[in-house]
Amino acid sequence: MRRSLTVTLAVILSLGFVASGCSSSKQADTATTGTTVSSAAPVTGTITVSAAASLTGAFGTIKDDFVKANPGATVTINFGSSGTLETQIESGAPADVAAFADEATMKKLSDKQLLAAPAQIFATNQLVIVTKPGNPKGIKTLADLATAGTISLCADTAPCGKYASQILQGAGVTIPTSSVTQGQDVKTTLAAVTDGDAVAGIVYVTDAQAAGAKVDTVEIPTAQNAVAKYPIAVLKATTSSALADAFMAYVLGPEGQAVLKAAGFQAP
Amino acid sequence: MTTARRRPPIAVVAVAAVAVAFFALPLIGLLQRASWSTFGHDLNTSQSREALRLSLVCSLSATALSILFGMPLAWVLARIAFPGRALVRGLVLLPLVLPPVVGGVALLSAFSNNGLLIKPLNQFLAQHTDWHIQLTFTTAGAVLAETFVALPFFVITVEAALRTMDRRYEDVAATLGADRWTVFRRVTLPAILPSVIAGSVLAWARALGEFGATITFAGNIIGRTQTLPLAVYLALEGNPDVAIALSLVLLGVSLIVIVSLRDRWLERS
Repeated sequence: MRRSLTVTLAVILSLGFVASGCSSSKQADTATTGTTVSSAAPVTGTITVSAAASLTGAFGTIKDDFVKANPGATVTINFGSSGTLETQIESGAPADVAAFADEATMKKLSDKQLLAAPAQIFATNQLVIVTKPGNPKGIKTLADLATAGTISLCADTAPCGKYASQILQGAGVTIPTSSVTQGQDVKTTLAAVTDGDAVAGIVYVTDAQAAGAKVDTVEIPTAQNAVAKYPIAVLKATTSSALADAFMAYVLGPEGQAVLKAAGFQAP
Repeated sequence: MTTARRRPPIAVVAVAAVAVAFFALPLIGLLQRASWSTFGHDLNTSQSREALRLSLVCSLSATALSILFGMPLAWVLARIAFPGRALVRGLVLLPLVLPPVVGGVALLSAFSNNGLLIKPLNQFLAQHTDWHIQLTFTTAGAVLAETFVALPFFVITVEAALRTMDRRYEDVAATLGADRWTVFRRVTLPAILPSVIAGSVLAWARALGEFGATITFAGNIIGRTQTLPLAVYLALEGNPDVAIALSLVLLGVSLIVIVSLRDRWLERS
């Protein structure tokens, strides 16, 4: 009874976010103040959000904004490869919200009945080739990756690895195993190019954008590219469902969407 | 006095038993979680075999390098008083406290293609020869990363032994006309041998389990730099059964070596 009440409250709150966001989307500052006012009873408590590594920048900002709007709330974010996070949640790690980089990983949680409610897509992302600044190996296409030198790809267990194999297969490109260094998640994959000696890698558009001048990007044609869909869900095991619901609503709402857009994500 | 020796102090034994349980329980948990019916199948993949081979090759090479460079270093630290000795000792111990991933980043800053050492070296080599040095993404790079974290274990163990040994034997040998090398070989080395073995085993064990510095510096390439811990880490997500099977092999190999060495060498002294 109490729970359904808080859920209703959260829904009303999130509608409030949408309304305030729509009416004053060009006045970001007033919108934020408006939010604080509209959430007359800010949610409180503590939650842990397990978020895909590719969300590091965006979710850091979203968390800060969310906590500013809800001063009584403590949000801890656990970043990692979606695969690792799923394993952690399955083995009972205390998490309240899961935000992954692919639907397949989220489906594992829903198949095991670990979700409080069906997941929702909150962002999409595409992949891009990154090279050393100035693109010294002159990489122009996916096919060039096969012979350029050591290429950094995500391991098949991470969503970015699945997307990369899918893209390479679709393009009929085979990179020899001895030329592939596998990253645990997208951040380590990118780091092998920015800090290490990998000549190129395949990462999300958003990560390439976050790396700034440390990499050059080579676009993958839309026909060959993959679309990564990011699902978010509240977990059944949560002990603060009101706060978890409110956080999820915030990510789906205009404030969260604006941050994601600024980081290079596309709307669902 | 005899009764005291016969009856072990119960409190001490009880605390020791807690410590043993602390080590044993996670191991038992791992054994329990292992999927024994597919154990052989999980291990018998080319990727697992390559990882095991690489782990043995890299950890043994790292141990050899640790002995080669660690022995003179330990001797210098123990026997030669020079200004800044404490600083050098601190430097040697640095990899013990540095998170291994940070160690990997530090190695990159020195030994990657753009690193402090390799960049000018390659520029020089390019002018005079057609050689080119690359350590990242090579098995040599994996050995380098493992040596970085393993060397301190050898140095501290051997240095402590050199400091505590009775130097009068060395003096006597010298007065009897033995040269420095003979003194070291015939007197010093036999005296500190148990510590040399112990230091080597510690260094080897640390190298065998090395993960962070290796994946950061040498990368994660199947058959070239993907050692067992790296394979375990990746397998943990998709195939936890394979990850556990590989970990048990790693544990088994190290347990056999350490137990047999302890009996043969360490307890004799």
